Amino acid sequence: MNCRELLLAEDVTVSRPGNDGSFERILGKTTLGVTPGEVLAVAGPSGSGKSTLLRLYNRLLEPDSGQVLLSGKDIRTVSPPVLRAQVPLVAQKPYLFPGTVSNNLRASARLRRVEPPELHSPETKSLVEMCRVETSWLDRDARKLSVGQQQRVCLLRALLGPCKALLLDEPTSALDRQTGVQMAQTFKLLTKEKGLAIILVTHDLEIAEICADRIALMISGSVIETGPVAQVLNAPQAEASRQFLSLAVPDNGDVA
Amino acid sequence: MNTTIIDLSLWDLVTVYSLLLMSIALAHLLRAGQNRDIFWSGLRMFVQLLVVGYVLHLVFALESALAVLLILIVMSGFAVQTIGARVEKKMPNFYRVVGSAMLFGCGGMTFFFCTLVIGLEPWYDPRYLIPLAGMVIGNSMTGASLATERLAAEFHERREEIETALCLGSSVKLSAEPAVSSAFRAALIPSINAMAAMGLVFLPGMMTGQILSGTEPLIAVKYQIAIMCVITGSVALTAFIILRFGYRSYFTSYQSLREQ
Repeated sequence: MNCRELLLAEDVTVSRPGNDGSFERILGKTTLGVTPGEVLAVAGPSGSGKSTLLRLYNRLLEPDSGQVLLSGKDIRTVSPPVLRAQVPLVAQKPYLFPGTVSNNLRASARLRRVEPPELHSPETKSLVEMCRVETSWLDRDARKLSVGQQQRVCLLRALLGPCKALLLDEPTSALDRQTGVQMAQTFKLLTKEKGLAIILVTHDLEIAEICADRIALMISGSVIETGPVAQVLNAPQAEASRQFLSLAVPDNGDVA
Repeated sequence: MNTTIIDLSLWDLVTVYSLLLMSIALAHLLRAGQNRDIFWSGLRMFVQLLVVGYVLHLVFALESALAVLLILIVMSGFAVQTIGARVEKKMPNFYRVVGSAMLFGCGGMTFFFCTLVIGLEPWYDPRYLIPLAGMVIGNSMTGASLATERLAAEFHERREEIETALCLGSSVKLSAEPAVSSAFRAALIPSINAMAAMGLVFLPGMMTGQILSGTEPLIAVKYQIAIMCVITGSVALTAFIILRFGYRSYFTSYQSLREQ
């Protein structure tokens, strides 16, 4: 691996104390990174450690060993709030703060105690369009939007900070197919036009196919195969990948 | 008017205990299953208060600062232990946080009142210090357990909200603010309600006691007002210290939420 990666986990491991006092391995020694302008999909069955891995990238969780680098620098050298504003995570279930949509869009600035973004500036406007957030929503009660609309507001809210890379944890699994596909197109657009790096954890291979450049397949705490998405999905090298792919049914409701 | 208090004879006490027998009979009649509870708690009250009566009698006679302090420490210890028993989900370092909050909150407020306001002479005069500190500790104990319980519940319920805020670059302190302020509100509600209802809904115990023992009602009222302010101050300070240090224990050293 070289320092082309914007965000890189290097030899990270995570284990958790089990019920019987022993340590349960959640994530074996893993190295995985994403470059600017790239969507990296991380797929695998539930319990394969993909969400755990995702949470290492903005230090919601710390690895037992190994390190995570942002632009070649150990993320432990940056204060966690600064890191997380640059590498926000959007969760599976959208969470909006009470109040209007515009109140939510200003939340990141408010929480970081900086000036709120100008929602009508050209830069912001293009993000608003890419996320398919409509200006007519701005004054509406954010929690009264549909789940799909809420998820788009969450995505936009994360982007309105000093965002460099985006961590997405099953962002489409609560949405209907059409909205999910639209979201996936948005992810692609964000990387290609804004140069963002996206790590997308998903069980939905169709979504991965639409937007991802590369895919990493994870099974029981290990990345078993990485490569260009078409190659891995159509001609997987590892036996375990073939098994997983043959069992993977689109939209199986996997909640990791 | 007779200003000396009428003593209760042993026979008088036996007479009032017959009311407990009546309560047992009523509980039995309704099959409430509390017969034993009423009997035992009635007996416990008798023994405990009798012991306290003798201890206080002894401490008043001793006139020693050490003995008074010892009593206050034992009282606070029981209070912290009671909070511990009542609160199911304890934050890490629970006893250290709650113990020091009670020490500074109750101790500080009681000291403020007794030395700076009343100007006790000597400062440890047990006739004032022990009952006043008792009321302050008792009320702060309730406030402290409400604050810790509420904080645990808030962190449980607001997990998503707090993590969302962290993911947007919020500091730990700011992300915990809604939980902390809600816990503080919960702790102060009883004191606020008590002050607002004071005199209308009930005549507080201390005032009643002072009036019974012959104190001029207006003096008793002034004492009651003062002690309510001290109690509210102590509850607020104790809850503040607990929350100020307690919320951090829900986060890791690298500023993320601890796993539950």
